Amino acid sequence: MKQTGIATKIILLSCGIALLLMVVGCILVVQYEIELLNNMTDKKVEEKEHFYLYSLYKEKKLLSDQLSNQVNDLITLMQSVDIIYAQTFEFQIHSLLMHPMVFAAEFCDQKGKSFLAAWKSKTVQTAKQFPKALPLKSYMMINKKTGIPSVERIRLYYSIEKIEEQLQMLKEQNINELHETRRNVYKKLNVLFLSQSFGSFLVVALLGATLIFSLRWLILKPINNLMQIAKQLKKLDLSVDITPTMASHELNSLAQALGQLLEGFRKIIADVKENANMLSGSADNMTDIAEQLTNQSEDAESKANIVAEASVQISANIHTIANSVEQISDNMDGVSSTSDYLFNNINSVANAIEELSSSLNHVGERAQNGTEIADKAVLLAAKAGKTVNSLRHAADEIGGVSEFIQRIAHKTNILSLNATIEAASAGSAGRGFSVVASAIQEFAEQSSRAAKDITDRIASVQKGTSEIENVFKDVSSIIKEMNESSDSISFAVIEQTKAVQEIASNALEADERARNINISIEDLSRTVNDAADNTAQVAMGANDVSTRIQGVSESISFNRQISHQINETAIVLNHLSSNLKCMVDPFKVSHQKSNNNNKE
Amino acid sequence: MRNINNITSEKKKLPESKRQFCSFQMAGHFFGVDILDVKEIIDEVVLTKIHHAPPEMLGFVNIRGHVHLVLDLRLLLNFSTKSIDEASRVLLFHPNVGESFGVMVDQIGHMIEVEERLIEYRVSEENISGIARDFRKSELEKGVCKLKDKLLIILDATKFLYAVDLKR
Repeated sequence: MKQTGIATKIILLSCGIALLLMVVGCILVVQYEIELLNNMTDKKVEEKEHFYLYSLYKEKKLLSDQLSNQVNDLITLMQSVDIIYAQTFEFQIHSLLMHPMVFAAEFCDQKGKSFLAAWKSKTVQTAKQFPKALPLKSYMMINKKTGIPSVERIRLYYSIEKIEEQLQMLKEQNINELHETRRNVYKKLNVLFLSQSFGSFLVVALLGATLIFSLRWLILKPINNLMQIAKQLKKLDLSVDITPTMASHELNSLAQALGQLLEGFRKIIADVKENANMLSGSADNMTDIAEQLTNQSEDAESKANIVAEASVQISANIHTIANSVEQISDNMDGVSSTSDYLFNNINSVANAIEELSSSLNHVGERAQNGTEIADKAVLLAAKAGKTVNSLRHAADEIGGVSEFIQRIAHKTNILSLNATIEAASAGSAGRGFSVVASAIQEFAEQSSRAAKDITDRIASVQKGTSEIENVFKDVSSIIKEMNESSDSISFAVIEQTKAVQEIASNALEADERARNINISIEDLSRTVNDAADNTAQVAMGANDVSTRIQGVSESISFNRQISHQINETAIVLNHLSSNLKCMVDPFKVSHQKSNNNNKE
Repeated sequence: MRNINNITSEKKKLPESKRQFCSFQMAGHFFGVDILDVKEIIDEVVLTKIHHAPPEMLGFVNIRGHVHLVLDLRLLLNFSTKSIDEASRVLLFHPNVGESFGVMVDQIGHMIEVEERLIEYRVSEENISGIARDFRKSELEKGVCKLKDKLLIILDATKFLYAVDLKR
């Protein structure tokens, strides 16, 4: 989303500002409306106030008029009458007080003094004069001259409080109604404000969405295309085609300029690449040739070395040959002296062998004697074995007899027990018999014990006899072995005597041969001395040859060094050309060419 | 003590108040029965097995024309049973002990004569409230006789047949 980052930022910013402006405008409008409403209500309240004052004034006037009319009527009524009675006055004053607004009334005479007064406390009360406690000053007053001698003046006191109250109430009611309407209007305005802000938010969202889509479609898409091309260029791929898009002519001209630039680059790089390839090929060739040269010179050097080494070895070998020939001549002298010694020794051996032959004869006789004795021993051993065998049989029989005795003893024991039981059952009469029975039991036990003893002894005798038998078997086998070995000894002695005689005759012959060897060895030693002299001369010649061959080898090694240097320079050249190729290679000029490069 | 008085052997007491016992060994223990109860000891035994009989009854044996029942005393005394070998003997009891019967013992010993005071009789009333097996064992053992180097357990031959019945 990095490509859309700028667009979203711009859109979000603009949308935010628009939203803010709209909300602020909305608030201002609402504020203004509230202000207007307040002003209007205030004006109305003022109007009501004025109206109240005006109507109060009117009512007052009306009331005073009414009252004065009433008084006037009364006066005319009084004028029309000749004589006025006191009761009439009272009646009149009562009628005056009938009016709800009138609080008090008084009639005055010619001197200005009141002669009849009436006022409302709880009921209508009458007197000559008003009591001083009455708060008459707070009431309105109508003062009229009658022109009638008996009643000079009529004073009427009345209050406008009730009217005032009524009007006040009316006014307050009106004002309250106004406030109520204002409150309603406020509520409506709040709703209006909310709906207005919501609507503005919707409008802003719509605007933002259209902005996003248009920005993406018109600007970001072509820019993305260009960016992809730039990425490919970053990878040194020059084989991209730039096609103009339909979005806007500014971007189109930019794309076209880029395309032209690419075309130029592509041509240059292709040329360079071709040249580098050619250069690298020729450098390779050169390296190969130089390497061949080096190899060949190395080969020559090694061969020369081998020859030199071989010549050195030859001279060394010839030296050793000369040395060994000299040694041989020395050894030959030693041999001749040893052969003398040998000759003497063989003589003494022949004498000793004859003595041995005579002693062997003696041994043969003794061995014969031993064989005869062994035969006799075998016979005796067999006889002893038979005797032992019969002894064992006898022992077995004794065992059977003792077992029989034991059984009898057991029987006797039981018999004695039964006898004891019988004796016991006989009571005191059988006591004597019981003693006898116990004695018999004793005897039975003793005989049983003796029989057991005999059985044990016989068993040990049987064990001994079987051991003896085994020993005799061993002894007879040993004697047989002895017999066989003495036989073989006598046979061997006879053979040895024959061999010794042969050895004696051979020793004599050896004596003769040794003498001959002695003579021929002396001849050989003489010829060997001659050979030693000749080989020394050959060795000197071989040394000379080896020094010359070394000279040849040195000159060849010099050659090799030079060819090595050539090889190194060729390698450097090759390296340079391959470097150039590497630099150029990453640029892909066209699809086909890049493929070809890959194949190469 | 009342039980002891009833036994026939008690009536024929020796004048020096000495008593004779026929001793035998079983599973390493040393037992004895009164010699007056014993009729005979037999060494060569040919047993005739009784089928469907309790394992304590080893079989019948024919002695000079009389047939006797043979019991396995090992089983009666709650030892494990053992096969008959050379040392095995059958003790036959007098007819006044019970019907004609005998017991198989491992090895027969001597006739032992001991003084009355060396014998300690069991008091059977003490063990009345034991379980059945204990009851039988205690009933079979009449007492113990202290010899010089070992103890002789004296068995009551009259209770053997009764013990077989009890075991059922």
